[in-house]
Amino acid sequence: MNGSKRKKLITIAIFVAIVGIAIFFSWRYVGTEAFIRTSLSGLTLGSLFFMVAAGLTLIFGLMDVLNFAHGAMFMLGAYMGWQFYTNPTFIFGLAPLVFAFATGLMLLPIIKPSLIRLHLSDALTKGLPKLAYVLMIVLLALGLWGLDIMNLADTAMVAITTSMISDPLAEITAQEPLAAFWFRPVLLFLAGLAAAVGIAKPGDRTEFATHDELRRDAILVGALFVATVLLTIFRVVLPEWVLLMNGNLRFVFAIVVAVIFGFVFGAVIEITLIRPLYKRSMFIVLMTLGLGFVIREVVQVLWTPLAYQMVRPPLFAQQGKAASVLEWLQNGNATLDIFGVTFPTYRLLIIMLGLAMFLFVVILMTKTRLGMIIRAGVQDPEMVEAMGINVRRVFSIVFALGVGMAALGGIGAAPFIPIQPLMGDTYQMQGFITVVLGGMGSYVGAFIGAMTLGLARAFGDYFALKLSLSPAIAEASTVIIMIVVLLIRPSGLFGKKE
Amino acid sequence: MNPTETSEAILIVENIETYIGQFYILEGVSLEVPRNSITVMLGRNGAGKTTTLKSILGLTPPREGKVVFDGMEIHGKRAYNIANLGIGYVPEHRAIFRQLSVMENLKLAERKRGDFNRSADFIFDLFPDLERLYKLPGNHLSGGQQQMLAVARALVPQNKLLLIDEPSEGLAPILIQQMMEAIRKLSETTTVLLVEQNFIMASQLARDYVIIDDGMSVHNGKMADLVKNEPLVKEYLGASVGKLVHGGDK
Repeated sequence: MNGSKRKKLITIAIFVAIVGIAIFFSWRYVGTEAFIRTSLSGLTLGSLFFMVAAGLTLIFGLMDVLNFAHGAMFMLGAYMGWQFYTNPTFIFGLAPLVFAFATGLMLLPIIKPSLIRLHLSDALTKGLPKLAYVLMIVLLALGLWGLDIMNLADTAMVAITTSMISDPLAEITAQEPLAAFWFRPVLLFLAGLAAAVGIAKPGDRTEFATHDELRRDAILVGALFVATVLLTIFRVVLPEWVLLMNGNLRFVFAIVVAVIFGFVFGAVIEITLIRPLYKRSMFIVLMTLGLGFVIREVVQVLWTPLAYQMVRPPLFAQQGKAASVLEWLQNGNATLDIFGVTFPTYRLLIIMLGLAMFLFVVILMTKTRLGMIIRAGVQDPEMVEAMGINVRRVFSIVFALGVGMAALGGIGAAPFIPIQPLMGDTYQMQGFITVVLGGMGSYVGAFIGAMTLGLARAFGDYFALKLSLSPAIAEASTVIIMIVVLLIRPSGLFGKKE
Repeated sequence: MNPTETSEAILIVENIETYIGQFYILEGVSLEVPRNSITVMLGRNGAGKTTTLKSILGLTPPREGKVVFDGMEIHGKRAYNIANLGIGYVPEHRAIFRQLSVMENLKLAERKRGDFNRSADFIFDLFPDLERLYKLPGNHLSGGQQQMLAVARALVPQNKLLLIDEPSEGLAPILIQQMMEAIRKLSETTTVLLVEQNFIMASQLARDYVIIDDGMSVHNGKMADLVKNEPLVKEYLGASVGKLVHGGDK
């Protein structure tokens, strides 16, 4: 055991030495100014890679699930954040419906104990859930009938034309008046309730329900209900209020919205699509692959395949170069002077986001009970369950966290790369290479791998330009690094031997 | 929860049948575990003892039959729900979490916050070694220490029943003695269902026994009677164990 540990340390030391030498010589070769600029670009890319890879590696480590829809979820995060930032009518138009459905569905743990105790005939026990699902579909159809989602999403021109100088409210999408809208949340609430009844399996004596968390569930339902009512009433006012808000604050909210969306979306996907397939891992690969296509197509339908450029928040938008960090924070310059190098301030934010996320993951994994459960679950999920921990729920949380991180990467990247349905695919590819390079399931490996690949990519681009080689050499460099590392250490830099 | 069902036995297993994948592993196991005593499950390798424990706990849910714990039917429920009713599990092969420290292993076993603080004195009294090793990662422990940690983990919450799978497996004789002492001591406050290949250890600890053979429970009774019944022991547990019984009588 000690020997293998020493071997691991030696390989990592060699790796660090090679990277160090590569950095030293490229510094001597390209000169300080270009070196710093290229390094910072590399760290920016590395941070984005890490935001994709962190979720991938956590999910793979615990559940052995390769999520091929991760790039699509990254892209969804970008779209959600961008929508909130430039024209939130889409989000606020649909939010009451989603919240209403969730309120109904979340009644499940509260109604389940009494429903399963009902004395029903066998036929009724079997038929009732199916009936409930049919009812749910009917209610959903009625509730969504005539709702103009396309119009809500039609923000293409808005996104391009809205700038900070013009009136932000000028382009806002018109919404259905409340008098014509109110029945939709009600019907969706009932649809959610019908789904809950179906899932609860009324009269099924073999089902089991605990009363332990009843109070927490009741509080959650109450909160959801209040949120639904408020969102319904203020549906038209809220987007205007958001758009008149300070741009930086709006961007912070956009990040929060994207992350929460990613988290909830991840939880829903895990519970509905992945959970039934854990025993057939190959199906999960196919399912996530297909899910990625579906997400991309839906996004294309809603927002057309065009590429959009998100306006940077005011803190990063002002023309001109700031001489110091203080000056930048005061004036909101687009670029900043770092050791004589002119560097875009927004990219610094991405590096900060990447570092913050790494810190978050380290603290989560080493200091919290959830992290302890995850590390234990990586080794032996059955034993974790036998200790009285709901492993299924932990799986859902970890998947949701991973998707939330991908969404954070998406909105972080949105002001920096064009927003289009395929924007996540390159990052997903690089994310997989990162995870393989760093070692499947290792978050430290993912971080070091991501930064290595980011730097390799940036320097590859630089050399390709300087030596007038094909830019493909930069893209290939990441794969070459992966192949070399895998030849020496088949389980990746920080991976465990199988 | 019918009060009449809350009998002397804390656990009643009635004719459970369990499949693992396509394999028919348990073909009808019944047993009863009386409160506040040690019951041992005996049988050859592969007879289905571990699967019986896992079926009780819901890790390999039985397809047929009943499991009643503390007057409550638990078969078909999720394992974590069953465990939270007050069943502790010590798996075979010292399945502690090797990536976690001793402290984290114990903390993870908490069901309510503060469980570990309440039981720490009792645990370190039983296994003084663990207090010294508190901060070490699990993969730095020796086999015996890992086994002690595996047992200690089940003692962190207040369990009404402990399922202990082969605690003496692969341990040095002196450690087996220590483990026996520990199990005897903890049986004063809780009930134990033990799987044990070491017949001497089993016969010294347990009050009742049940023999599992080919996935079926074939015999049960008082341990004191089994020790005298050499042919029965020979038939189900093998000649070598039979000799041991004989040797133990001398």
